[in-house]
Amino acid sequence: MSIKRNFFAGVDVGSLAAKSVILEDGEIFATGLVPSGVDSVESGLKALNLALETGGLIQEDLTYIVGTGYGRVSAPYANKAVTEITCHAKGANYLHPSVRTIIDMGGQDCKAIRIDQDGAVVDFAMNDKCAAGTGRFLEVMAGVFKVKLEDLGALALSATELVPMSSTCTVFAESETISLVARGEKPANILNGIHHAIANRISGLFARVGIASDVFFSGGVAKNTGMKTAIEEALKVTIVKPEIDPQLIGALGAAVLARSFSKKEGLWA
Amino acid sequence: MTVKTLEVIRKRLDERPDELRKARANGQKVVGWTGYNVPEEIIHALGFIPIRIAIGGDDRLVEVGGRYASSKNCVFIREIVGAFAENEDPYIQQTDVLAFDATCLQNFRAAEVIEYYFKRDVVVLGVPRNFYWEEGQEYFVNEANEFTRLLEERAGAKLDTVKLAASVALYNDIRKTLKSIYFFQAAKDNVISWEEVFDLIQAGDLLDKKEYLILLQETLIELQELQPDPVIEADGADGRIFISGSLIPRGDRKLIGIINAVGGRIVGDDLWTGILPHLDLDIKEISPAGVALGYLNRTPHAALPYLDLESDRRLKKLHELIDESKAQGVIYHTLRYCDPFTFKAKETKDVLAKSGIPLLEIHTEYAGSDYEAMRTRVEAFVEMIKIKAESAAEVAV
Repeated sequence: MSIKRNFFAGVDVGSLAAKSVILEDGEIFATGLVPSGVDSVESGLKALNLALETGGLIQEDLTYIVGTGYGRVSAPYANKAVTEITCHAKGANYLHPSVRTIIDMGGQDCKAIRIDQDGAVVDFAMNDKCAAGTGRFLEVMAGVFKVKLEDLGALALSATELVPMSSTCTVFAESETISLVARGEKPANILNGIHHAIANRISGLFARVGIASDVFFSGGVAKNTGMKTAIEEALKVTIVKPEIDPQLIGALGAAVLARSFSKKEGLWA
Repeated sequence: MTVKTLEVIRKRLDERPDELRKARANGQKVVGWTGYNVPEEIIHALGFIPIRIAIGGDDRLVEVGGRYASSKNCVFIREIVGAFAENEDPYIQQTDVLAFDATCLQNFRAAEVIEYYFKRDVVVLGVPRNFYWEEGQEYFVNEANEFTRLLEERAGAKLDTVKLAASVALYNDIRKTLKSIYFFQAAKDNVISWEEVFDLIQAGDLLDKKEYLILLQETLIELQELQPDPVIEADGADGRIFISGSLIPRGDRKLIGIINAVGGRIVGDDLWTGILPHLDLDIKEISPAGVALGYLNRTPHAALPYLDLESDRRLKKLHELIDESKAQGVIYHTLRYCDPFTFKAKETKDVLAKSGIPLLEIHTEYAGSDYEAMRTRVEAFVEMIKIKAESAAEVAV
């Protein structure tokens, strides 16, 4: 007689990437990460299928799926949709129960989230209608310097000086950057200034929700080491080292919730 | 379950613009008013038909208004100016005289712009910044007397005390009935929603006041038959939301629609276009001064400064209404460049946090571009208060 294994999936469709995490009971079993396309349903399914393939599973093996991210509103494959704010809280709590503050920087928004010991959200704030402090902003900057997005942070950390940036508006920052390059400033020093300008702007979100240790950094931008350092300096905190790709935290939280919802619904004991 | 009188009210609203046209053809004059402290009873007692100018939600009109008002004026004021510029709104078309107050200086500015560019006849009521001082109250009484005089000129008649007493009694009955109806929307197993009551309140801005009172009384009787013993109680994790902040006029249902779409239930408000202006209005003397002081001594508008945060009447009332409605969280709506409410968001949040009431500020305008971002915030907030309520229920068990 074989014992039925329970698999739970979280699918997080963001503006730049779609992510999926599959849990087997309480453990991470497989993950998937693909760039987002124009069709959010297709992007979510691609990420989910990648995780399923990695784990040698098919969709029917999953007990429950939770969709999150902006694509959650159109996720026919999911049993339930939950916001990425709640999912990032659950994901960070799953990995590091001591976390009380999350900085989530994704493709199109930035969030400051305060959570309790159970991973429940107690307060949060998001950036206003502005791309400052988002993956999209950094993409534009990478384009200006003609470097790969993933190399931006390391380049900023190699700076010998900090060139102050007066603007974090994507459009104005781009033209300011071009002026600074024309003036002969070194790219690394300008990027250092850009990262610190964003970090200072993000500090404003924490003025609204407060900050408590431990602090976790999630989302695609969390892979940027220059941004992590700039935020640590601006907020005067030490960011917890993530055990998995920080871009997967929302999908992980969704999978944790999938497990919890399916238990409540009596799908497994 | 539907409340049948609401259908009648909707039908009467459809017919109202034509009705106004006919009334004007028969020599009656319509006063379009806007402002938190405009004493509507005085307008009514002078024989005018009062119509409240409060429209929103149309980004195109905001753009039109921005050609006359500053782009830094709030979107509500810009839309009002835009509506006067186009002159296509069936109510705006029917106004003979406009009565604006200066509670919010943006409102005052709208009066100036409309008078200057569109040559409309505007009467402005000054409002003191400090209404706790005797000098402030004296200023407002003088302003109310002058406001009455200017309207008397336009009415071609003096204000009659008997007529004013009748108007005050009529408006008092309207307020009393509205308050009774309002209770039903927050009740457990409610037969009328907050949204329906909100529409009902705003119908009173446009309908004939005597008829409106009758319709309200019929609504109340119907509600009492449908739900004889309403009880307000937090029903587990039903996401009970209280709306505060900048006004939400007719035409603007973006935030309300989002709250409903994500599973929140609105159970209370302290909006200027909601129940708040109808509460605690005690007119002690039948005179312009008496009516004016009754208005001034209500819960103040956010445009008037705090003098003492701990004893601020607006925050005290907010607390009281949240308690009454058993709301689990506050969504604080701030319109772009609505400074009075936007500036006070942080301390309102801090004051409520001391009582364990979470507050989410939603800063928006009439454009639809922020719809998804708003939805995420509101949905996360509703999830947050539901999880909190569920946890509290589990602990209680």
